[in-house]
Amino acid sequence: MSALRVVLLVGSARPPGTGNSEALGSYLLARLAEGGMGTEVFHVHRCQRPEKERALFEAVGGADVFVLSTPLYVDALPYLVTRCCERMAAHRAAEPQEHRSRMVALVNCGFPELEHTLTALDICGVFARQAGFVWAGGLGLGGGEAIGGKPLEEVGGMTRHVRGGLDLAAEALLADRVIPEEAQAQLARPMIPSRLYTTLGDIGWLRTARKKGTLRRLWDRPLG
Amino acid sequence: METHAHGPQVIVDPTTLNPAKRTLLLNGALAGDETLEPVEEALLALLREERTEIRGYAMRDVPLAHCQGCFECWTTTPGLCKTEGDAGREIAAALIKSDLVVILTPITFGGYSSEIKKAMDRIICLVLPFFRRVDGEVHHSQRYPSYPALAAVGVLPAPDEEQARIFRSLVGRNALNMDCPVTAVCVMEAGTPPPILRDSLAADLEPVLAHVGGRVA
Repeated sequence: MSALRVVLLVGSARPPGTGNSEALGSYLLARLAEGGMGTEVFHVHRCQRPEKERALFEAVGGADVFVLSTPLYVDALPYLVTRCCERMAAHRAAEPQEHRSRMVALVNCGFPELEHTLTALDICGVFARQAGFVWAGGLGLGGGEAIGGKPLEEVGGMTRHVRGGLDLAAEALLADRVIPEEAQAQLARPMIPSRLYTTLGDIGWLRTARKKGTLRRLWDRPLG
Repeated sequence: METHAHGPQVIVDPTTLNPAKRTLLLNGALAGDETLEPVEEALLALLREERTEIRGYAMRDVPLAHCQGCFECWTTTPGLCKTEGDAGREIAAALIKSDLVVILTPITFGGYSSEIKKAMDRIICLVLPFFRRVDGEVHHSQRYPSYPALAAVGVLPAPDEEQARIFRSLVGRNALNMDCPVTAVCVMEAGTPPPILRDSLAADLEPVLAHVGGRVA
């Protein structure tokens, strides 16, 4: 019997190895690999050419688990992810899938509260059902910028609960169960207290602007 | 009607009597989907009754690069997306200069179509990177002193309560983040007969139509 397969689609447009979505998805993938699953990773911005898109759709079609890990863009899935979902749903409707695939979504946002991600997770659930996946559940994460695009283990204790939640999700997926509520409860625990997160975030923007020489122009209104 | 360099349809009604009020209409119909046409016609008729200047973009005809998530519109070129040569800056400018933005879209998995999303992702330059709290929840601070009202019209192939709920939630989140003074949502099914279609739009969008028409709703 061949090993079960999992495909990760990273929804961030950032270069591979630098995004928070990839860090989260890769952690989950590593746990599934430890459980014996074969893994494959795609980046949505690298699947725009027809042959790349076809390779993604075929890999997902043959996968036992499809993981979408994506940032939140303007309260929903990013354009490239939305487009990919539209095209994948159409592809799967045109070529009915014989293989039973489950889908899980990880949505992270730069706001401290995970509530911002709930609409996008709902969208993922509808996509999963329309595209013929078995919806295994979604996980939202607030304060994603605290990860800094690094592997979760490297970020250290701050991501302990995030890793704990993803561990629970991996256990559930390996056992062919839906993701338990406790996994989301773990991710709901803030990596950094909200007020500290926003203060550090604001300071970070100012420091970046100072380095770039744009500090005095940060509040510009060039289009108004 | 004019044709723009980037290809979108620009609708400026020469008979407008209230040119101080501007409306931006983003049509998110996907390639080959003509089901939104009668809805757009009804929308335009209602907007013309409010004597507002209308600028419309058929997004599927507008080449637009995807947002790269680089945040350079906040730190390197504050207020402007770094990507030039497409309609991204133009649409962002049209949006912030409008009194009303109307999003017309097929409802895709409960959300906007990808054609709408490619524009929406490019407008984060209109807010600041800094945080503010609204009812205990964190959002971005406003770059501009005021933002347009928001109307969203979502078209479903068949009744679907779950997708309608998600769509209303999404529009509400957008309105909150963009500090829109007035918001209205209309969800309808494709193929709705014109008289019903017009009445539904008029009833559901009344708050924003009154806003742009300078009436009391």
